[in-house]
Amino acid sequence: MLAQQMLNGLIVGATYALFALGFTLMFGVLRVINLTYGVYFSAGALIALAFTRNIAPTLWLALPAAALATGLLAVLLDALLLTRLRRAQAPELASLMVTLGATLLLYAVMTAALGTEIRRFPPGLAGTAIEAGGLRISGTQMLILITTFIMVGGLLYLLRRTRLGLAIRALAENPGAAQMMGVDAGRVVAFVSFASGALGGTAGVLIGLNYNAIQPYMGEAMMLKGFAVIIIGGLGDIGGALVAGLLLGVLEVLTAGYLASTLKDAVGFVLLVLTLWLRPDGLFGRSTIRRA
Amino acid sequence: MNGLKRVGLTALTLIAAAGTPRAEPTEPVTLGAIEILTGPASRYGVPIMKGFQLALDDINAKGGVIGGRKLALQFEDSAGAKEQAVNAARALIGRDKVPMILGPTLSTEMFAVAPIANERHVPILGTSTTANGITAIGPYVFRTSLPEADVVPVTLRAAQKKFGIKKVALLYGNDDAFTKSGFEVMKAALDKLGIETLATESFGAKDTDFSAQLTKIKSLHPDAVVVSALVEAASGILLEARAQGFPPEIRFIGGNGFNSPVLGQIAGEAADGTLVGSPWFIGKADPANRKFVDEYRAKFKEDPDQFAAQAYDALHIVAAAVDAAGAADPEKIAQSLIKVKLDGVTGPFAFTDNRDPADSSGVVVLEMKGGTFRILE
Amino acid sequence: MIDDFLWTYQSLIDTIGINGLLALSLYIVLAIGQLSLGQAAFMGIGAYGSALLTSRLGWPFPLALAAAAALPAVAALLIGRPTSRLSGVYLALATIGFGEVLRVFYVNADFTGGALGLSGIPERAGFLWIYGTLATALGALTLLCRTRIGRAMDAMRQDEIAASVMGIDLARYKLGALVVSAALAGLAGAFNAHSSTSIAPGEFGFDAAVTILSFALLGGIGSPFGPVLGAVILTTLPELLRPLHDFRLVMNGLIIVLAVLFMPRGLLAWRIGRAR
Repeated sequence: MLAQQMLNGLIVGATYALFALGFTLMFGVLRVINLTYGVYFSAGALIALAFTRNIAPTLWLALPAAALATGLLAVLLDALLLTRLRRAQAPELASLMVTLGATLLLYAVMTAALGTEIRRFPPGLAGTAIEAGGLRISGTQMLILITTFIMVGGLLYLLRRTRLGLAIRALAENPGAAQMMGVDAGRVVAFVSFASGALGGTAGVLIGLNYNAIQPYMGEAMMLKGFAVIIIGGLGDIGGALVAGLLLGVLEVLTAGYLASTLKDAVGFVLLVLTLWLRPDGLFGRSTIRRA
Repeated sequence: MNGLKRVGLTALTLIAAAGTPRAEPTEPVTLGAIEILTGPASRYGVPIMKGFQLALDDINAKGGVIGGRKLALQFEDSAGAKEQAVNAARALIGRDKVPMILGPTLSTEMFAVAPIANERHVPILGTSTTANGITAIGPYVFRTSLPEADVVPVTLRAAQKKFGIKKVALLYGNDDAFTKSGFEVMKAALDKLGIETLATESFGAKDTDFSAQLTKIKSLHPDAVVVSALVEAASGILLEARAQGFPPEIRFIGGNGFNSPVLGQIAGEAADGTLVGSPWFIGKADPANRKFVDEYRAKFKEDPDQFAAQAYDALHIVAAAVDAAGAADPEKIAQSLIKVKLDGVTGPFAFTDNRDPADSSGVVVLEMKGGTFRILE
Repeated sequence: MIDDFLWTYQSLIDTIGINGLLALSLYIVLAIGQLSLGQAAFMGIGAYGSALLTSRLGWPFPLALAAAAALPAVAALLIGRPTSRLSGVYLALATIGFGEVLRVFYVNADFTGGALGLSGIPERAGFLWIYGTLATALGALTLLCRTRIGRAMDAMRQDEIAASVMGIDLARYKLGALVVSAALAGLAGAFNAHSSTSIAPGEFGFDAAVTILSFALLGGIGSPFGPVLGAVILTTLPELLRPLHDFRLVMNGLIIVLAVLFMPRGLLAWRIGRAR
């Protein structure tokens, strides 16, 4: 049973990591507690659902379509709400507040338009399960694992080996200096917003497919865990988000499997509080945002 | 006109306008209804509202109440927030002077709202609140929703008899009042029937991953898994169980939260073989139910669930009480309410002395097959 | 008639006062630049603590109220030291994490009534208690702004490093603010429990913390009156918007968004007693 539980934990952890990737990017680089991230998650799932129901029941088209849409949504929201506040040099808390209001607004709009019933994807979108050596893993779960690792690899490559990545890191570390060195802040911000939104949407599609309970508020439930993962992993640290997500997933599953399932919820928060107490910069201490 | 006259005239107008409403003999009888109409939990409140609306149409088509007055409901949304439910109750009783309140949707809301209605001697009737201790709040608090304590033992006994179930695993949602009290009922019933509980696992209402608990349960080889969950978690649990390869011989037995058409829609084949006890299901063949289901489908273009059915019956019960009371008076309605008997779509109904539903003979045990519930053979 | 009016709006009036206290509790920590979002958690401690004391042990209300202020203060002392090195969003998340851990505790412990919470709490907190406390707190804070402590708090919020160079004992002020904030929130919790007569774990978690934050942000943290004004507006808004039915939540969010976009410093961006 231990092997299966470890596998369960890795899969759950991969979903946390997948969710956290876009979140840590947005947080670490744009330095704003953007509560609308959960909206991108829900929207991604809903858009992909509409796509598979009305246009073509294939994940290979629905997923990119949803990611594109949520990426654009993120750029739009950033332009409408946050850029304005940045220009007006508003206090940091104002961005927090406006994203809070926008989140309430967007969830309410989605609910008003679509109702709160739960929906599911048409069956059979992600292939069948595999069983090997007494372990089972479903098609969707494999897809989640593969996508997570590809995304992490892709982001790390982007950040470490490309000029755009350099610009992003520079902007995250010191916006003023970066701009003086010729970094076009507007374009970089737009790209980061797009990437975070698209990542959130992708997470929404895959995780929604795995649990098959799609409704407008599904993003909310993930947000708290997302916060925990990005803090534990370090803000803006992609590799950290992966490790933290996997760690959290495995610990939760093992707690539920071997201790008591009532404690499962608390695991994330205990880890969060411990991290903040002992290593506030995250597991690897590589957070791109100063903690003061 | 000069200042003083103006002030005086305004004051008089205000006093006149704010005076006690006169009850015209032909005016509709308006009752209050507090339900969750917006927000994430509205999927429980909205079917209740629809059940009420269908019943209103039915009652008013048959001539209304108290000799020809139309029955009307003033809906207030609580959005699932205790304060809003309380404010709505106070507004309905203090400002709108309704003689009776239906709802609220959740047991936690009821605990906050019922004392207020009770203090003002206004009867309040829960159609969906199943926690323990609600009617104990006071003599004006009524409930038509059959508590889990009356349904679960029937289901478990049937499962034991039919499938020879001796040992089970218990799985429940631990941070929702409804699923938690469902779990307690299940535990007690299992003890009484002498069925052994191999493991007790829990999850949170917002959880989507159940792999840890189910892997553990599967390794213990129970005869059945008894689950107290709301429908989202229930579907997730069933899907995960099938994905993990639970054999069909291990039956899943659910509480009230499983009794929803959504379960079959989401879990699909994974839900086949699931057992649920219910005071109502959509396939009940009696003419009253068929009429209800057909009219509901025609009006709302979707299938009714048990919340809608219970609401439908409840309003008929209330209308009968208002008729018997002969006036839109809270005291009289409270006194006649307890004596009402009805043969509704959820079966025969009567109140106990404690204002709870007395008759649980309508409970049936259902089995899910191909996405719909049928009666267990 | 007036009686009816008061009875109808009694809960709303009580809630406005309680939310005002919570907003003030947040103001205290925001005023020294700490984004500590533990008010909901401290409120929970005060609510559960006082409710258990009055309904299970039969304590008189004033004593339970004192406990409701003391218990969270002790909790604040305990978590104050480890969190004093954190700031900004880290502190916010640590305090929210603390609140969530407590919420899991309330849900699982038997004596707190589990998921159903406690009900049948004696109704003891009325208009006088709530608004009396609110007025006292407002008065005290306003006066405080004019004293040396007030100026020190101001200095800390503007620039912590400069403030410490000027000799202000940062750690003591931070801990003091946290303790006072916790005590106020605990009182608010006791009032909540003893006016609505029932409490459940879900009222003291993440959602509540975010709501309290929105009071302060809407009203502005230039003065103690700002957050209270924010609390008044955001508490009455859902009730005022009732006629809108389905669009209520949409309007709620829209109003918040527009308010912040056009008034980023909050509605009351002025300060009392500050020399300009």
